[in-house]
Amino acid sequence: MLEIKNLHAEVAGKPILRGIDLTVRPGETHAIMGPNGSGKSTLSHVLAGREGYTVTDGSVTFNGKSLLDLEPEERAGEGVFLAFQYPVEIPGVNNTYMLKAALNGIRAYRGEPELSAVDFLKLVKARVKAVGLDEGLLNRPVNEGFSGGEKKRNEVFQMSVLEPLLAILDETDSGLDIDALKAVAEGVNALRDANRSFIVVTHYQRLLDYIVPDYVHVLSKGRIIKTGGKELALELEARGYDWLTGEAA
Amino acid sequence: MDALDLILAAVPAADGWLGEQRRAAADFVRRHGLPDTRQEAWKYTSLAPLKSIAYRVAGTDDGAALDAPALAALPSACASPHRVVLVNGQFRADLSSLGELPPGVRVRSLAAALADDAAAIPEVFAPAPTPAGAFAALNSALASDGVVVEIEPGRVLDQPLHVVCAVAGADALVCAPRMIVRLARDASARIVEEYLGSTGNRSLTDIVTSIALAPGATLHHHRLQGEPDSTAHIGRVVARLEANATLHSDAVAFGGALTRLDIDIELAARGARCNLNGLFAVSGNQHVDHHTVVDHRVGDTHSEERYHGILDERSRGVFNGKVIVRPDAQGITARQASHNLLLSRGAEIDTKPELEIYADDVACAHGATVGELDPAALFYLRSRGVTEAEARALLTYAFADKAIAAIPLDSLRQRVEQRFLGHHRLSELGAALAAE
Repeated sequence: MLEIKNLHAEVAGKPILRGIDLTVRPGETHAIMGPNGSGKSTLSHVLAGREGYTVTDGSVTFNGKSLLDLEPEERAGEGVFLAFQYPVEIPGVNNTYMLKAALNGIRAYRGEPELSAVDFLKLVKARVKAVGLDEGLLNRPVNEGFSGGEKKRNEVFQMSVLEPLLAILDETDSGLDIDALKAVAEGVNALRDANRSFIVVTHYQRLLDYIVPDYVHVLSKGRIIKTGGKELALELEARGYDWLTGEAA
Repeated sequence: MDALDLILAAVPAADGWLGEQRRAAADFVRRHGLPDTRQEAWKYTSLAPLKSIAYRVAGTDDGAALDAPALAALPSACASPHRVVLVNGQFRADLSSLGELPPGVRVRSLAAALADDAAAIPEVFAPAPTPAGAFAALNSALASDGVVVEIEPGRVLDQPLHVVCAVAGADALVCAPRMIVRLARDASARIVEEYLGSTGNRSLTDIVTSIALAPGATLHHHRLQGEPDSTAHIGRVVARLEANATLHSDAVAFGGALTRLDIDIELAARGARCNLNGLFAVSGNQHVDHHTVVDHRVGDTHSEERYHGILDERSRGVFNGKVIVRPDAQGITARQASHNLLLSRGAEIDTKPELEIYADDVACAHGATVGELDPAALFYLRSRGVTEAEARALLTYAFADKAIAAIPLDSLRQRVEQRFLGHHRLSELGAALAAE
């Protein structure tokens, strides 16, 4: 499904990713862990197509297409979704309306007919209950005045409506207390199935207690330096990153 | 411009008082000419592009081709049972349908009102001519038709009166209608002035709206400048508010090659208040200039003003908001804000608040901002699958949202939404949500 080969990327002339190789098959959940500054968020943003990152080498293939050649909205059309570490507040843009524009944008990209306002609202009502987002937030401007937990829940809610094939969760656990973390993880787990894949980017092992990965990769200085199963995360929790990165604490 | 002599030669003849006043107004314009950029009030708005156009004053025949089907084909913001249509400034009975007006509400053409009793319509010659206001004087000289709205004490016009001002027919016509609105004590009304025309028309509309609100009267005045981007449009709204009168003004402008609107409000007695809401959105080489003056003549008067400007491509915008607080006008409040969004590097806005305060117990605030679309928000929307064009439109709409939300007519709001988004699915979704 997703094949990243020798990916190099830089920000403002500074190399951040220095040769990432990663293969994600349908239904798999991969955790990307690593110390601050290792390139975790850069990888998420490069995959989603954010401006300001220059890919200097390598390739990213998603279901046979070169992802790096696509605009962000085209990547969404192909089934890629990024749950933001810091979801953006957009005053004046209604949450429900944004989601309708997004869903219909994706459907148009795929050559599918638009959903009517009525059908769309039915879908939204069903999904908002499933992820436990306060229904009152639907008609508020996107993320404006939302608490940290509400913002992350809103990301999962959007994901549940847009039904991506590959969801990238960028430090979704940051700023969440344990209850909010559990709720967000439950929302994510409800979406896991044999066809949908996840890349869970996180600094801490805690989130992986709730979203249990098939693989754990350790990123350091822009490279994956170790890959293991879910038990690797526990080991990292116990021992820190230094034994892998070779740096003194 | 040489054309000015030709225009002034077309001042309509009239007997006695009316004729004398028209000649005096024409003489004023002849003496002072039209304003130029050496005048402070016109510093950023040059009329030079109009000089090469061979204008002539529109006659009755010029708009004859605009019949009911042609009018229906033009975009129209308001579906009201009370509609008055002016074509090139001339009242058109065949296109107007006043419907059943409530008791105490009288709507006439200016021509009919002048024929009844010209002396009863002294507003035609207000405001007193000034060099910077020479277009108002030109309107005084030329205005032979327009609309006169009079409402008796305590009477209410609850459905909006939709005044359509269409420009049509031969090129380079000068259209100079006059609107007169008089609300007696405690009367209230809602009036929509909509300006439109067919693509490519190069007419010059020179219009004045005179508003007089007696104590306790309330007027919602919506002005939508939606002419094609080939016209010139110079308007002035002059309002005088007596005690506890309220004026809500919505000025929306996205049409015209060159649009200049002056709004002059006199808060003449205690308790008078005005709420000025403005939105302009231009692109290409369009130029739009709003000048407002709110004169707090006495204490306990209140004004609130919010203008939003959106400028794309090589367009240029001007906002000048002046607040005057007279020496004895204690206990007034005046708030003013000008927010601007530049969508292109070639676009430009000149925004300037001007406060003249001669009293000490006042609460005045003003602010101006100029910004561009937030790249983080743009990426967020696109990462969700929203196309770049739609994302830009949504964020632009969001910038104007507060100004648009304040427009109290669904149909007018939808037309504005259509302009920003290219569709009005937002309203449709809102309707679906409301139906839940």
